[in-house]
Amino acid sequence: MNRLKHLPTLRITPGAARSFTYGKHTFEGLQGDTVATALFANGVRVFGRSLKYHRPRGLYSLDGECSNTLMEVDGVPNVRTETTPLTAGIRVAAQNVMGRPELDLLGVLDAFSWAMPAGFYYRMFHRPARVWPLAIQQIRKAAGLGRLSPDFRMPGRFDEIYPAADVCVLGGGPAGLSAALAAAERGLRVILLEARPWLGGAFEYRAADDGDGVALHRKARDLAAAVAARPEIRVFTQAPAIGVYSDGQVTAFQRGGPDQSFDERYIEIRAAAVVVATGCGERPLLFEHNERPGVMQPACAQRLARTWGLLAGTEAVFSVGHDLGLEAAVDLFDLGLKVAAVADIREDGQDPTLVKALAQRNIPLLKGWVARKAHGGNRVTGATLTSVNGRFHRRLTCDLLAAAAGLTPATGPLTLAQSQLAFDPHTGYFLPRTLPKGLQAAGRLLGLESWAAVTASGRRAGLQAAADAGADCQAAIRESEAALRDLPGAVRGSKFVIAPGCGRKAFICFDEDTTVKNVDQAMAMGFDVPELIKRFTSAGTGPGQGGIPGHNLPLYVAQTGLSPDAHPRPTTARPPLVPTLLATYAGAQHDMSKRTPLHDLQVACGGRMERVGVWTRARRFTDDPRCRTEILNVRTNVGLLDASTLGKFLIFGPDALKALQRVYVSDMARMTPGRAKYSAMCNDDGCITDDGVVVQTAENDYYFTTSTARAGVTVEWFRYHTRYDGWCYHLVNLTDAYGVLNLAGPKAREVLSRVTTADVSNAAFPYMGYREMAIHGVPVRALRLGFVGELSYELHVPSSYMPALWDLLMEAGRLEGIRPFGLEAQNALRMEKGHLIIGSESEQRTTLHDVGLGFLWQREKADQRLVGAAALMQTERQPGRLKLVGFKMADPSGPPPRDGSPIVDARIRGYVCTARYSFTLKEPVGLALVEDGLAQEGARLAIYEDGCQGQLTHAVVTPYPFYDPEGRRLRQ
Amino acid sequence: MAFTITCPVCGPRDGYEFRFGGEDKGPRPEAADLTPAAWCDYVHMADSRPGVQKEWWVHRQGCGAWFTIHRDTVANQEVSLNLLEAAE
Ligand SMILES: [Zn+2]
Repeated sequence: MNRLKHLPTLRITPGAARSFTYGKHTFEGLQGDTVATALFANGVRVFGRSLKYHRPRGLYSLDGECSNTLMEVDGVPNVRTETTPLTAGIRVAAQNVMGRPELDLLGVLDAFSWAMPAGFYYRMFHRPARVWPLAIQQIRKAAGLGRLSPDFRMPGRFDEIYPAADVCVLGGGPAGLSAALAAAERGLRVILLEARPWLGGAFEYRAADDGDGVALHRKARDLAAAVAARPEIRVFTQAPAIGVYSDGQVTAFQRGGPDQSFDERYIEIRAAAVVVATGCGERPLLFEHNERPGVMQPACAQRLARTWGLLAGTEAVFSVGHDLGLEAAVDLFDLGLKVAAVADIREDGQDPTLVKALAQRNIPLLKGWVARKAHGGNRVTGATLTSVNGRFHRRLTCDLLAAAAGLTPATGPLTLAQSQLAFDPHTGYFLPRTLPKGLQAAGRLLGLESWAAVTASGRRAGLQAAADAGADCQAAIRESEAALRDLPGAVRGSKFVIAPGCGRKAFICFDEDTTVKNVDQAMAMGFDVPELIKRFTSAGTGPGQGGIPGHNLPLYVAQTGLSPDAHPRPTTARPPLVPTLLATYAGAQHDMSKRTPLHDLQVACGGRMERVGVWTRARRFTDDPRCRTEILNVRTNVGLLDASTLGKFLIFGPDALKALQRVYVSDMARMTPGRAKYSAMCNDDGCITDDGVVVQTAENDYYFTTSTARAGVTVEWFRYHTRYDGWCYHLVNLTDAYGVLNLAGPKAREVLSRVTTADVSNAAFPYMGYREMAIHGVPVRALRLGFVGELSYELHVPSSYMPALWDLLMEAGRLEGIRPFGLEAQNALRMEKGHLIIGSESEQRTTLHDVGLGFLWQREKADQRLVGAAALMQTERQPGRLKLVGFKMADPSGPPPRDGSPIVDARIRGYVCTARYSFTLKEPVGLALVEDGLAQEGARLAIYEDGCQGQLTHAVVTPYPFYDPEGRRLRQ
Repeated sequence: MAFTITCPVCGPRDGYEFRFGGEDKGPRPEAADLTPAAWCDYVHMADSRPGVQKEWWVHRQGCGAWFTIHRDTVANQEVSLNLLEAAE
């Protein structure tokens, strides 16, 4: 198709061909085309088929307001081709089509549309219920848009940014540009969001002038250039706003491309003030077959020509309700389109210059006339016009029917910002009656049309936003208000929706195939307000989010006189205002985890690293998932575990002890210097949340550890539970600053004594002792604990020394057969010993008593208002609780049950917490939480496992610890 | 849901940086006065009335401070104490 050339408004680059495929064809478009305009240039007129009736659909608007032009691009369904830039080599395919769009085998459904009234699916298939599953399969086959396989992964690069600004302007037309400039001139930082790839809004393609001889497109581009030159203004193009919230929060997404670092990204802006200047769209005119390919909005036809050099037809009929429609007819005539007639809903009030221009071109102008029907199938072949009163008809031949009832302000952002909208009879618009604090509105949205008034209102809004953001500009605001008063005000508009007698095939919503007749049916059934009708007919709930229905639904409903609302009321807009990819919300998906200082060394030793909570840790060091050699080496020789993820804290200050007394269940006043105290924390329900050891290092000075999972919330926990007390203490989180090595096994002492001169004999450094020592000059906090049930030393050292200490110990322990061990071996070892991991052997409702740690609780501490004390008292003898028990298998030759398996009889009576084959005891052992009735020694537990097909396995409650119950080994 | 909260240390910041700590119910009751029901009320029950309430927040992704603000739960907006007093 030949393109118009040499227009100053073109956005395509002639000669810069971009080839792509459409179905089986290879087409060529130009640099600057969208996928839709490139298809149109190659003669495609039927772009897809509608959701319900499979009617042919074509280009109607150009900003992706409806699903007509959704296609599959490079395997991604539901791509809005009108807003997708053409890139070379893409593969485009029609969707929702059986066959080709031009010859869709399901098109026959359209003939049966009479059988599918409003709410058809809701009402027809719900009785009898057994029909529904069958019906739904057939409906699914025929309805819906696009196809997605379950293993589809969204291709592309996604990102997210969170910029801040003083003023955020929505809309890059003259109003938004003027607002941005006005705020920037006051020294404020501005973010401007524009959905299209360029600035200028509804003016950047118009050749008309405002009476001063300068074309509007020239003015718009000059203004855009002025904005681009301001360093204070950050412009995002191809970036529609999708949400507006309180306190100046605006969300948007931006389309990128090969030249950017992203294909699409989420933008969340925080601004002190927001200006909404989103302008207007054209409000569709409803008539019979108002969505036939070849029916389009006048601005769509005009922009196709002016921006992409494409004439939308050869002979056109216009049916308009606004001067812009007349202007489009004149402009397109001058560009070579034959115009058979222009029908204008308005009896009078047209711009005389435009009336004269039409007359000079011998274009008949029918005042008080309107389109009644589009003729033709896959393409428009003619139009029937009627006088607005319905008395006279006229049929004309045409292949383009440019039709719009008027304009619709894009009020979505205002609604989201909680602005109250009210119907204004003069403009026929919903105008903001109140604006929330920090929000301004400007431009065509308010009914203004002339360049001067639009820019002046933008300037005023920009200055007001500047004042909202703290700039001192009251005088300038008053000036700008005065200037605006002298300019033409809001233009008279129409609330005309449909010619009398039409409706059966007049589509109010293209996405959902909702006709005016469907709306009538809904009202006949008693749905009398737009919000309900919208839901029943699903008008405005499709991918376009009400872009095409615009405000036709409330206007139409109000005109029927059946609605309780005397004045039209808009339906509610919700975010996202423009459909947004879930991948965009997901963003860059950085999988961030912390690594311990020994990460690389452990990998070098064959460590299998695994994500555990916020950390990446070594699960094991061999291929054996049961870790036999790692476990036995700790039991017989000595092992080394990286325990750096433990929470490590200092607490000091005059009230440090009070704070410890508040959160730890034990009496923390009774501590012996040089000895670690094991204790636990509970929440206010008496449920155990954490355990660890505390040492007193000096007066009012303590060092303590928490479990890995609690490290991140411990400071918050202390401060929360002491928030009323005004105590003076300091809490320092050393979790990342310190690493921990656990040297464990009967030969641990030999290894340790080889690297330090400190006395580590059993007498000098006994079980539960705490010593500060030096290992080759490295300061070490050493704790003699026994989590895995053997003689062991927990060595806490500054993180930077950890690799050196690891090397030292591995070298020093070579004779003793030292080997690293991982989380899995530790888990089996400590479980044999009956030591708990909070979160494995406890859950949300497990109290300190339930896990057998009630002895830690010092009830005389009542005056400390211990967190959980009241609940510990109340639950101490509470029946019906799940209690922690040990168990062995009735058949010791079988495998251990999987962790988490339920324990059942007629119902679930508990579950397995941790169970492993014990290489030490040579049989499976485990810990389980079971109802107190099953908690006695010898009780038989029936365990249900996934896939056991009813074959329960049995276990017997056994006392624990299973290994070294007297605790000799850790004291040796 | 987005809104800003004024941290006494850091100033007004994005609400995402904070964690809610419940309505302000006063200090923990003395253990001596406690019935199980009174304790359960203190820990678990909230007034949840529409309007302005005093509540606790922690600046989790900031300075770590616990503090109270007044918030209008209907508008989901922080209300400055000065404005409150002026209105009374
Ligand atoms: Zn803070």
